[in-house]
Amino acid sequence: MARTEQQSNEKFGGRWFWRYASPATFYPVAGMIEKLCWVAAIVLAAIGLYIGFFVAPTEATQGEVYRVIYIHVPAAWMAMVIYLAMAFWAATGLVLGTRLSFMMSHALAPTGAIMAVVALITGSLWGRPTWGTYWVWDARLTSTLILFFLYVGYMALVAAFDDKKKGDRASALIALVGAINVPIIYFSVNWWNSLHQGSSVRPGSSSMASTMLTAMMVMTFAFWAYCIAASMYRLRTEIIERERNAAWLPAAVKEASK
Amino acid sequence: MSLRSATGAVFRRELQLFAKRKSDWANPLVFFLIVCALFPFAVGSESERLKLIGIGVIFVGALLAAMLSLPRLFDEDARDGSLELMLTSTEPLAALILARVAALSLALGVALAAVTPVFALFYALPFDVAGMLAISVLMAVPTLLLIGAIAAALLVSARGGAILTAVLVLPLTVPTLIFGAGAALKVLYGESPMAELALQAAFMLLALALCPLAAAAALKISTD
Amino acid sequence: MIWESWSAFWAMGGRGFFVWGSYGALAVAVVAELVALRSARKRAIQSLQDNDDDA
Repeated sequence: MARTEQQSNEKFGGRWFWRYASPATFYPVAGMIEKLCWVAAIVLAAIGLYIGFFVAPTEATQGEVYRVIYIHVPAAWMAMVIYLAMAFWAATGLVLGTRLSFMMSHALAPTGAIMAVVALITGSLWGRPTWGTYWVWDARLTSTLILFFLYVGYMALVAAFDDKKKGDRASALIALVGAINVPIIYFSVNWWNSLHQGSSVRPGSSSMASTMLTAMMVMTFAFWAYCIAASMYRLRTEIIERERNAAWLPAAVKEASK
Repeated sequence: MSLRSATGAVFRRELQLFAKRKSDWANPLVFFLIVCALFPFAVGSESERLKLIGIGVIFVGALLAAMLSLPRLFDEDARDGSLELMLTSTEPLAALILARVAALSLALGVALAAVTPVFALFYALPFDVAGMLAISVLMAVPTLLLIGAIAAALLVSARGGAILTAVLVLPLTVPTLIFGAGAALKVLYGESPMAELALQAAFMLLALALCPLAAAAALKISTD
Repeated sequence: MIWESWSAFWAMGGRGFFVWGSYGALAVAVVAELVALRSARKRAIQSLQDNDDDA
């Protein structure tokens, strides 16, 4: 089974990543990453929205409503990427026994769930003028909905354990099980969708002008930055909660709040 | 005792328990029956309409009935201490878990599949569709129980375990649902269900290979 | 500038509700997350200080 942090330390020696696997060392680093990412998110969002709304032309078939793409697609991507990141840190935690990895997983989950919700709401608002209804059991929307359920299950499981260490490893296992299932679910939902509905009109499937693509990519980076910043903020809160008896903590918190 | 005879012993003991305690398989069956009987009240009794929803209702009903018996896998053993024995056994934990899941799948799967064609008649489904539905249910129950064993192992005697198990497991049953109900739908439309059956079998084999190991890890985590 | 006027911009070719509704939903989600993050941090620091006072 999983090693303890100490055993891992002995086995792998004092390499640099072990230093950063300690909450004490990572706390200020997370603060720096967080600040950088808040700034990046605001700047990139401003640039992306400017290009998206004032440079990119009207889309030929959909008119103006396609401009939802600048937030819908990044949100859907982030929901996916964050789940994978969550599973990655969960696996790292299970293999190496580093508690910071588990905390990272916990910190990512709520942001991922929010991204899934944003993708679903924007998708249905986009679907109304495009498809004529707010909800279509389209393969991508359906998969995102199931992804949202997986996030909810993960978070509920984390909350169900009073024993944090147990909760860490239990939720990590479920994150891995989910990650293995995600591709299978995507495949089967695609299969099901093509069986029952035939091809439906898909927003954004027509060729895009390059300015549209630029705006979407810039917005995607903005979403990345936002998600990293929010997760780092949550991670630091969790470090404060869980390392509350550590001697280094009060000084680090005071330093950060200056 | 060799691995084979140890797992065989677990398997037989489980089946004997099933034969003795009728509520273990009778209650899921009654639950299944009631779920299937409720839907016509909600959607109306015209046979054309029932035919359309029947496959889905029966399949989901069977999945839910199987899920209700998940706590049976470990909870009781945790209370009477036999779980400790299982954990300290020299046999691989995954093999012992697999034996229990296999016994539960066999008992419950056969029971649910046996009544499925009867329920199919409630929904005015033709005989060939009813038969395919029974095969689908028979294949889906082990898959569901294998996946569910992971959640059941994690949440042994946890508070709110039953509902949380459902939240964790149900989203993961989507592929089973799609291929299982899909096979019966194909027969209803007069097409070949082979592709769906093959995919369902593949999914079941994948679950068979991975889930016992994951469930063993889960049991170790939760009883640590 | 690709818009003839600001009112044309806000109208989004008659699809304003859907476009601005989407962006509004994103804004609500982000603000809600930020508020939740802040209040969780405040609670954590508060309990940390309570912890110190006890010690």
